[in-house]
Amino acid sequence: MMGLFLLGIPLIAVLLFLIIKENKIQHAISVVTSILLILIAVYLTREVMLFGIVEYSSFGGFFYIDSLSIIVLDIVLVIGFVASVYSIQYMNHEIMHEKIKPKGLRTYYILLYSFIFTMVLALSVKNMGIMWIAIEATTLSSAFLVGFYNNKQSLEAAWKYIIVCSVGIAIALLGITLLHLSSIGVLESRQFLSWTALFDNAGSLKSSIVRLAFIFILIGFGTKAGLAPMHTWLPDAHSQAPSPISALLSGVLLNSAMYGIIRAVAIVNRNLGSSVFTGRLLMGLGILSILTAAVFILTQKDYKRLLAYSSIEHMGIIAVAIGIFSPLSVFGALFHMINHSLTKSMLFLSSGNILQKYNTKQISKITGLLKVLPVSGLAFLIGLFAITGTPPFSIFSSELSIIVSIFQANHLFLGIVVVILLAIVFAGFAVTLFKIFYRKTDEDIPEPGEANIPGTFCIIALLIVITVTGIFMPEGVKNLLNQAQSIITGGLA
Amino acid sequence: MSDFSNTLSTLILLSAVLLMACKRTKSYIKSFRLQSFLIALAAGVMGTGNMLKDGQFELIVVCLITIILKVILIPNILIKTEAKVEHKVEKDFILNIPILVIICCVLIVFIYASISNIEGLNEGSVNLQMVNSISIILIGLLFMISRKKAIGQIIGFLVIENGLFVTAMFVTNGMPFVVDMGILIDLLTAVIIMGVMVFKINDKFDSINIDKLRNLKG
Repeated sequence: MMGLFLLGIPLIAVLLFLIIKENKIQHAISVVTSILLILIAVYLTREVMLFGIVEYSSFGGFFYIDSLSIIVLDIVLVIGFVASVYSIQYMNHEIMHEKIKPKGLRTYYILLYSFIFTMVLALSVKNMGIMWIAIEATTLSSAFLVGFYNNKQSLEAAWKYIIVCSVGIAIALLGITLLHLSSIGVLESRQFLSWTALFDNAGSLKSSIVRLAFIFILIGFGTKAGLAPMHTWLPDAHSQAPSPISALLSGVLLNSAMYGIIRAVAIVNRNLGSSVFTGRLLMGLGILSILTAAVFILTQKDYKRLLAYSSIEHMGIIAVAIGIFSPLSVFGALFHMINHSLTKSMLFLSSGNILQKYNTKQISKITGLLKVLPVSGLAFLIGLFAITGTPPFSIFSSELSIIVSIFQANHLFLGIVVVILLAIVFAGFAVTLFKIFYRKTDEDIPEPGEANIPGTFCIIALLIVITVTGIFMPEGVKNLLNQAQSIITGGLA
Repeated sequence: MSDFSNTLSTLILLSAVLLMACKRTKSYIKSFRLQSFLIALAAGVMGTGNMLKDGQFELIVVCLITIILKVILIPNILIKTEAKVEHKVEKDFILNIPILVIICCVLIVFIYASISNIEGLNEGSVNLQMVNSISIILIGLLFMISRKKAIGQIIGFLVIENGLFVTAMFVTNGMPFVVDMGILIDLLTAVIIMGVMVFKINDKFDSINIDKLRNLKG
């Protein structure tokens, strides 16, 4: 029953935040909560490695974790932990500079832990209907976090975010309803919408309706995952939210939505007996996302928006890889999810340090970064290289395996386009790097020195992880990824 | 029974077109209330049918909660929000109302044509309830893009949600009970959050015209 604590602990934390008003104690509760969650995640990961599936029969047997969900769940909890440690000094700084009121911290933590709760819920249920409810709830709980600074820009971003995502997600519900329709007469009423039942009986679902359902699910969850052309909310929300929240949105939220798509793809491909139909749609949207991101990255003037567009690019790469649907490409996609989350959250956290020092998001106004912020500035520099897929970092190895799998699947043209677009993205990032790091230092640079010490330690830790996993992958992670890969491709390959 | 469902689903569709034809914020909140009432009625009748047939009372509970939430609570929240932020009557729609209504009709025909081409959905005749329900979703989307005020967008979102609910109810005889409840709770939270946001937007921008939200680009 340990797994149920995963859902209980964030809720208890939310209740505690409602009662306690002292800022210091709130910070402490937040860190303790996230450490407890990590411990449970370690336990569950071990269980999944040993037994494959963790399932409890209580409450109608809604709780279900397999190796696919544990991967995304671990990402959520690790980034959640990092964000909670980083938040302490970050929020203290914001309170000190009167960007938010001291009372605002309570709201911040309540929303943060409801956000984490909804994401954990989305990843630990068997029923696709409840999964949908949880993913919709992630939008609701994070909308005020996006608009947290309560100024014109952040309110605009928050309004766009809640409207675009709610409507998008509503379309996914239509898809899930259709999936439900296709299973009537096949499943018993207590199995309705259960993922395992749908997957096991995929062969007898009505194919024409399943096809239709997939289109709606892809558009709906694709909106939340930031696939172009439904990505319009993403750059605004990511750039306006407080930096720890940007890290969570980009590193975690997008993955949870992508997880929904992957679950649907597994059912649909098994039903249709081939991956041609889903493959075409996913590759089309994926390429469009990479293309859109590449164009905007080349001309970007705001560094947080630059990182946001890069998230769209990476979601596009993952979509293409899922579309290919070979064991190697799915493995690559899942590995890429992990790498992208860790690297991008590191970048958003260091950009938070930069933002607090320079008080601007304009790339052209950042000078002398390595002098002002020796550690997080350097991490930002290395991170920009890592996110474009430069060896030896982990994104390089996952991107390489995805590209190899594209060519192996004989999508020659697609492979060439992806490689060219990645080169354009690299060029865009290189231009930014030159602008920031190779310019004459102005006289009036901010006072040097790292402000957020615990946060900087988190950044360094993430940097070490992405460097090490680029060269050497632990056997356990590899097995877990392979297990998840075989769950997804199970019906076909 | 199926005649009855056909009639009700058509009435619900008509209420969506009626909503599209409303000029003022208050009148489209009223039309939304009417639509939700019709949906609750349909749920109630179908629920009674289910109960007499095999003792399932879930749809009746859903009907009661729909009345509480969508007929009473949510419209009241919206009317209160509207009363607090409305200083002046502005022209709210981008296209003329007659044109919007004609576009609605085109949408319905389009949905009819598409749905009648999908095999496996229609047994013998075209599934009229499905055509109606999906049309409501699209009319909701059109409503959202045709109004400039933030409240108009909330109503559009609610109409989409109504369309989804009707689709689930008519086509699949209702989603599992837990899922239905979860969706309704999500919906209520969404409306409350959006309502608060409308206040904040009104505070900062002195208007709830979303044309003013144009700071973030590129």
